[in-house]
Amino acid sequence: MKMRNVLLVMALVTSVLIAGCAKKQDASERVLNVVSTAEIKGYDPIMADDLYSGREISKIYEGLLAYHWLKMPYELIPNLAEAMPEVSKDGTTYTFKIKKGVFFQDDAAFPGGKGRELEAGDFVYSIKRLADSKNQSTGWWVLDGKLKGLNEWRAKNEKLPATNYDEEIAGVKALDKNTLQFTLAKPFPQFLYSLAMTFTYVVAKEVVEKYGKEFINHPVGTGPYVLPKFDQGKRITYTKNPTFREKLYPSDASPEFQHLLGDAGKKLPLIDKVVVHVMVESQPAWLKFGKGEVDYFGVPKDNFATAVKDNKLSADLLAKGMNLTISPQLDVTYTSFNYDNKLFHNANLRRAMYLAYDEKKANELFYNNTAFPAQSITPPGIAGNKPEYKNQWKGPNLELAKKTLALAGYPDGKGLPEIIYDIPDSTTSRQMGEYFQKQMEQIGIKIKIQASPWPEFQAKLKKRSGQMFGIAWGADYPDAENFLQLFYGPNSAPGANSSNYNNPQFNKDFEAAVKMQDSPARTALYEKLNQYLAEEAVSLFGVHRQAYTLQQGWLKNYRASDLHHDSIQYLNIDSAKKEELLKKF
Amino acid sequence: MNMYAYIIRRLLYVIPVLLGVCLIIFVIFNVVAPDPAFLLLGRHATVEQIASLHHELGMDRPLFVQYLDIIKSAFTFNFGYSWSSKQQIWEMIKAGAGPSLTITVPVFIISNFLSISLALLVAFYRGKLIDKAVLLISIAMMSIPSLAYILFGQWFFGAYLGWFEIAGYEAGFPNFIPYTLLPVMLYVVISWGPDTRFYRAVILDEVYQDYVRTARAKGVGELSIMFKHVLKNAMIPILTQVILQIPFLILGLLLAESFFSIPGLGGMIIKAINTSDFPVIKAMTILSAISFILFGVITDVMYTLVDPRMRLK
Repeated sequence: MKMRNVLLVMALVTSVLIAGCAKKQDASERVLNVVSTAEIKGYDPIMADDLYSGREISKIYEGLLAYHWLKMPYELIPNLAEAMPEVSKDGTTYTFKIKKGVFFQDDAAFPGGKGRELEAGDFVYSIKRLADSKNQSTGWWVLDGKLKGLNEWRAKNEKLPATNYDEEIAGVKALDKNTLQFTLAKPFPQFLYSLAMTFTYVVAKEVVEKYGKEFINHPVGTGPYVLPKFDQGKRITYTKNPTFREKLYPSDASPEFQHLLGDAGKKLPLIDKVVVHVMVESQPAWLKFGKGEVDYFGVPKDNFATAVKDNKLSADLLAKGMNLTISPQLDVTYTSFNYDNKLFHNANLRRAMYLAYDEKKANELFYNNTAFPAQSITPPGIAGNKPEYKNQWKGPNLELAKKTLALAGYPDGKGLPEIIYDIPDSTTSRQMGEYFQKQMEQIGIKIKIQASPWPEFQAKLKKRSGQMFGIAWGADYPDAENFLQLFYGPNSAPGANSSNYNNPQFNKDFEAAVKMQDSPARTALYEKLNQYLAEEAVSLFGVHRQAYTLQQGWLKNYRASDLHHDSIQYLNIDSAKKEELLKKF
Repeated sequence: MNMYAYIIRRLLYVIPVLLGVCLIIFVIFNVVAPDPAFLLLGRHATVEQIASLHHELGMDRPLFVQYLDIIKSAFTFNFGYSWSSKQQIWEMIKAGAGPSLTITVPVFIISNFLSISLALLVAFYRGKLIDKAVLLISIAMMSIPSLAYILFGQWFFGAYLGWFEIAGYEAGFPNFIPYTLLPVMLYVVISWGPDTRFYRAVILDEVYQDYVRTARAKGVGELSIMFKHVLKNAMIPILTQVILQIPFLILGLLLAESFFSIPGLGGMIIKAINTSDFPVIKAMTILSAISFILFGVITDVMYTLVDPRMRLK
């Protein structure tokens, strides 16, 4: 008996030792290893309001439209649609032909476990599901008030114990098995962008009904990869969808992406297996990238100085064959006022604060001098951003700031109450808050910083209870409307207009612009709205950030993008190069 | 018989304690915690959506009904579904307990074995160089924050020497082993300092007792004194320290799970707090309270086994 125990212990110890050492990288294995720096909420397209869940969902689900992988500015192309839609003259009816021969992935929800063919009716169901208030979708805003009869259908069904999905709606109809028609309540050209967003990705009714509440963890789409079940773990392994349709790597590209045409015409996806490592801490992810265990990774703020010098990679990373991609992000940081508080209706007070703030120094301190100063709300690369426009109130100009503050009625800050500045509770936000406090002190404005955990910070904005706050906004789609709506009166909190800014003239011009098709006249109106926000110093616009991403030398076809959640299917690995480069690690 | 009555009485204490825990959970959720609707509905939420979600989550019911609901789930163990992941909470606990235990159980066994052995050794050589050296090293190790051990360990042993996996996890035996070696090793080192100091102090308390002097006077050998007499008598505080660590094993190691990307219960709790996932927070708080009471009773029972003079009343 004793001998048996000894042998058992020995066997256990041996197995520990064998399995114990770090795994060696196999260069011949065609697996893409990527990192998600945030937890994945799940795989329900109508709940995908964050970038990280959006990226995972896009591996499995697809939409009618998508962004061209190799074109800039961003260009919408048909994805599950056969072609771009026929649009009626009044701009309210969009008719799509659906691609034939597209199948849902095999799943027990379908008869015999075999995925069935995609139909126009699936889109009708998916749109209604997004609108169904019982589902509490985070993406309802995309369609709110946009499709004829959809809001009414939503309101009617909200009161019923079970939603009636069979009721026909004028706004979204399947004309036949392969024809889908949308009718808008009023012209809204940005509608097409919503058909490339994860919220409108197509799902199968059978799957939703089979898994019920747990549908979020049982993804079954038409996309390039398959994940049998999501267990909310830290390692998500996708395999190639064996029934994925004939989708090819693009054969045309903008001039800056011509070098990414090596795989033109090849069937997608190019890699058979993808492993997503969920790592919320940047240090271990960065170390894994340094060992060649991750194929690309954004340079963490704390490692920036050692990895990048003068926008070039450091010598040791270059020696390992790594590449650096720098790409402007479609976002903006801004410090805003709560216009419910009459104090901030004083334009000179806002301008004085703007003039006192040294954005250049802030860029050095918090963004390693890599961001672009924001002149207004719309980032570069989107129509409405005028590259040559300079905001006259952007500091630092302390002398003018003091004069403007006196004009506001508060010489040297006298008579001005202490202003509470709300920030999310993180180290960087605190540092930024303290920097802002010091800048304002220079002209006699007293700022009190109030840091709250993210949920509380958000609650303050939604309840309109703060005074000033610092925040950032990233594009949902590449149109200035998505940024300008942050100051549109009817969008006030709990809507996206957390500033509660409500200017009738701005609202009127905004409403006129969003109805217009993309044209020089619309761009001119967008520019006017942007300049208005800047001249009035409606917010203190900070910076438009840039993404610095490192890729291993063996990774092919990589480009940085804010909107391509479906990028994984285009990426490839050069196995021979990987074997050669791994020797240098 | 007396002991059984004691155990039953102690277990009945669970009822008032749970009622109190439920009240604390209720107050925290309704007074202090942020509204989960703002997080669950995203940045474009409307007033109607928020009201509708409050209704869906039962947050618009009378406060007393909500409190009763917490009590009901505490006594039936029916915690329902997570608000954010939509998984059954028991399924989440089952999935997270394994990875947490693969780290905490080895740390618990190895660190306690090593620190008790070391404490016995230095108590045996009390006042000598080895005792002073161990004490000095223990204090030095305690002074370093655990995050520093993790960051250094991941860089030095994982990235620089390449001996261990830097982070990650694979379910199933023996797949998880490469991923648990480094965090286990680091946490054994982290707990080495405080544990050794504690056990040394406990053992030294006994070493100076009269019965030890009597044993020496009778000519009993030092080794025999240490193991047969001192260790046995020091068992009461040692048992308290060891057994009350067990509930923490189930809760996982918050920092380690985050830095080593281990899908355990510690990470689940942090995620629930960050997303105001009240049902998960409620379940974990109730289960923790119950396990603390349970292991408290076990500790008391163990006292009687270690020291026959002790009686449970």
